[in-house]
Amino acid sequence: MDKVDNNGKVGAALVVGGGIGGIQSALDLANSGFRVYILEKSPSIGGVMAQLDKTFPTNDCSMCILAPKLVSVARHPNITIITDAELEKISGEAGNFLVTVRKKPRYVDVEKCTGCGLCMQNCPVHQAIYMNGTIEQTQLSPEMVRGIKNILEDFRDTRGSLMPVLQNINSEYGYLPADVLKYISKQLHIPLSLIYNVATFFKAFSLTKRGKHIIRVCQGTACHVRGAKRVLEEFERVLGIPPGNNTEDLIFTLETVNCIGACALAPVIMVDNEYYGHMTPDKVSVVIDKCYKDKE
Amino acid sequence: MTKNNSHDKSLESRGLNKYCVSVCGGTGCHAYHCEQVSEAFQKEVKDRGIEELIEVKTTGCHGFCERGPIVVVFPDGIFYQRVKPDDVNEIIDGLLDGHKIVERLLYVDPVTNEKAIHVSDLVFYKKQVRLVLGNNGKIDPKRIDDYLALDGYQALLKALNAMSPEQIIEQVKRSGLRGRGGAGFVTGAKWDLCRKAKGTTKYITCNADEGDPGAYMDRSILEGNPHSVLEGMAIGAYAIGAHEGIIYVRTEYPLAIENLHVAIEQAIERNYLGKDIRGTGFDFTIRICQGAGAFVCGEETALIASIEGERSPEPRMRPPYPTESGLWSKPTNNNNVETWANVPLIIGKGAQWYSTIGTEKSKGTKIFSLVGKVNNTGLVEVPMGISLREIIFDIGGGIPNGKKFKAVQTGGPSGGCIPLSLLDLPVDFERLTDAGSMMGSGGMVVMDEDTCMVDVAKYFLNFLKDESCGKCASCREGTLQMYEIVKRITEGNGKEGDIPLLENLGNVVQKASMCGLGQTAANPVLSTLRYFRNEYEAHIQEKRCPALVCKALISYVIDAEKCLGCTVCAKNCPNDAIIGEPKKTHRINQAKCIKCGICVSSCPPKFKAIKIVSPAIS
Repeated sequence: MDKVDNNGKVGAALVVGGGIGGIQSALDLANSGFRVYILEKSPSIGGVMAQLDKTFPTNDCSMCILAPKLVSVARHPNITIITDAELEKISGEAGNFLVTVRKKPRYVDVEKCTGCGLCMQNCPVHQAIYMNGTIEQTQLSPEMVRGIKNILEDFRDTRGSLMPVLQNINSEYGYLPADVLKYISKQLHIPLSLIYNVATFFKAFSLTKRGKHIIRVCQGTACHVRGAKRVLEEFERVLGIPPGNNTEDLIFTLETVNCIGACALAPVIMVDNEYYGHMTPDKVSVVIDKCYKDKE
Repeated sequence: MTKNNSHDKSLESRGLNKYCVSVCGGTGCHAYHCEQVSEAFQKEVKDRGIEELIEVKTTGCHGFCERGPIVVVFPDGIFYQRVKPDDVNEIIDGLLDGHKIVERLLYVDPVTNEKAIHVSDLVFYKKQVRLVLGNNGKIDPKRIDDYLALDGYQALLKALNAMSPEQIIEQVKRSGLRGRGGAGFVTGAKWDLCRKAKGTTKYITCNADEGDPGAYMDRSILEGNPHSVLEGMAIGAYAIGAHEGIIYVRTEYPLAIENLHVAIEQAIERNYLGKDIRGTGFDFTIRICQGAGAFVCGEETALIASIEGERSPEPRMRPPYPTESGLWSKPTNNNNVETWANVPLIIGKGAQWYSTIGTEKSKGTKIFSLVGKVNNTGLVEVPMGISLREIIFDIGGGIPNGKKFKAVQTGGPSGGCIPLSLLDLPVDFERLTDAGSMMGSGGMVVMDEDTCMVDVAKYFLNFLKDESCGKCASCREGTLQMYEIVKRITEGNGKEGDIPLLENLGNVVQKASMCGLGQTAANPVLSTLRYFRNEYEAHIQEKRCPALVCKALISYVIDAEKCLGCTVCAKNCPNDAIIGEPKKTHRINQAKCIKCGICVSSCPPKFKAIKIVSPAIS
């Protein structure tokens, strides 16, 4: 089918990348009479769009747009799909390129594979597909593993278990250690990316270690109109840290909270589980000194 | 009616002549160390061996948090405030001495200077209609017997034994009850939709993710009277055809979570929850799901996503509405805590009775948390249709320190600020929306002349830009841009054209966002622009903050006539910006002043020598 004109130009095109852009280009080229090769480095074409639920801003179903195009590409007599392969070298000039492509090993007999997916389900190494092929080793002490297993035991095989598991770990360790998250990702068969999605969405979870005393300065509306901001600024000044941080000696963590729900005491702060009501900037040092004293 | 005799014993054991000392154990009083008071009472009663005469109870929130710790002595209802452990002996002596009252612990009305003896004498309680909160002061939330003694779970038994689900929905519809979470959707209609939705498995959820800053009524109900919510949910579940209920509680409310756990356990033990409830064949269980501090999870689709847990907890597109496809794609009915707590009242006393309270379109009572610059902060439950003036000036006792009222903010971050001129507005869903605010979950923050409205707008925008989940660009970027503009104005860098720009942006955010958070995110800005445009103009044109709040536009100065040179401010100043010798007038070095305000709070009240001026002295 190749068209050759007088300058020795070849009527074939190579599209590098099999995402939605590549697919559309390939279809347009093929429909105007060119022979098209699609080169894709991952095992399948579709790219990021195949991973999306909806497209912004119209909230159209992503797969509904993509799927018919995937089918037309696969069926098109003028398109050849080369997946799991990378571009190695290009030589020549516009209209007449020579391209070298390296195919990656598949360890699967492509001719016989029906794409049933059973091998993926049966593979004992979970989540490999989400973790870019490598399984990271986690460094957890045996006691920690035992503790986490106890937490997991209560929630295994129940729906919606991720939140309570994270809450329990957070209250157990004061934060969510990265290694523990990797561990529960494997145990609960939940992709690590999703665990991070949830862990970073909520205020109550912390990904870093926290101080011995946690100071929560309420920034509710009632506290705000009674001067909570001045109180917060004074804490920041005395401790030398912005909210959300620990002091260097890990004694204090300064946090803000949207509302403690003790508006009658505004402005109110909480140190660990103790409430201090009707705060003013000059009481800030008193509260901090008291914590130091308690420690002794 | 069958099988409802179990509570009689606890009624008898109380006895009419027995005193009951009820110590408020709500969060407000907790912060004043009410547990020490309650322990002191218990110890004293035990030491004297008079348990037969006096019963001591730690109850839920009484509402008048300003005067905590609160102690009420029944049967007469004598109201003591600011009680300390040392006062316990005197109170008990008084009781044993036959109704002798401890005068110094009584509440003194700041206006009339009269002492109030009984709960009913307090102006704070006089105009309230405490249908939902009323039992808070009489019940130990950890004892189901207390709830049963006050006809608890009778409405559930009535519903299960004598009413069909359709009849219940009809009653709730006729009562005119509307969602107390903010939007005000007719509860009965929602139940009806969920009942008629296809599918056999259905869920009900209770939204206890009370995220609005400055609102804590749901917390009080859960802490003080958790069974009323459980009973309401059980009735709702029967009407809708659900067998599993989930309460989604904020993690910031540990006491509420604890009390709910106890309540559910006890209700299961007495078979008011669980399998075959009281022999009626109806199964219903409730479990608790804890939030983790995200405001958007109060939005019902986000709440559902959050319970499912294994997806990003963002709001979802509607339709389909949760009543058709909610939790795990099953029909789900979600109501707010206060709504559920109203249900037993409606079923127990009838829709007819309930619909006599309130206005034409808004029935029943609403609990507000009256906070901010007001004398009597606390929880107030009032009939719909009462005016804002009555709530703030009669129940709330007006503004402290003789300051002038400026505005009242209702509806949390989704609401708006209502000015003095609209103070006679009757409170109901429609009127508040017309005024550019909304009912919301019931926060009512009073602001006086010392509150800067531009700063308030900045405060809410800061809140909203942090809490926007980021799904819609209009909300994510719009709130951020509005915040940046308002922040610039408060820093004295406002420009001509900022006000129309804000209005424009606000309209876009309102119209182009998917969920309630975004659709109402512009309200704080638009309502302050509508009623307090002059303050924005003063900030932009004169670089002046009329309320003396915005740091960049103010300076602290010492009033030479009032300062006696006591040196307290100079000693406390963290940046050594105050110069002066003892017994001589001090002076603030403006170049060094960091405007922290410590001098103001440390200057002895008898001098009040530190003044704030605006625009700033350069």
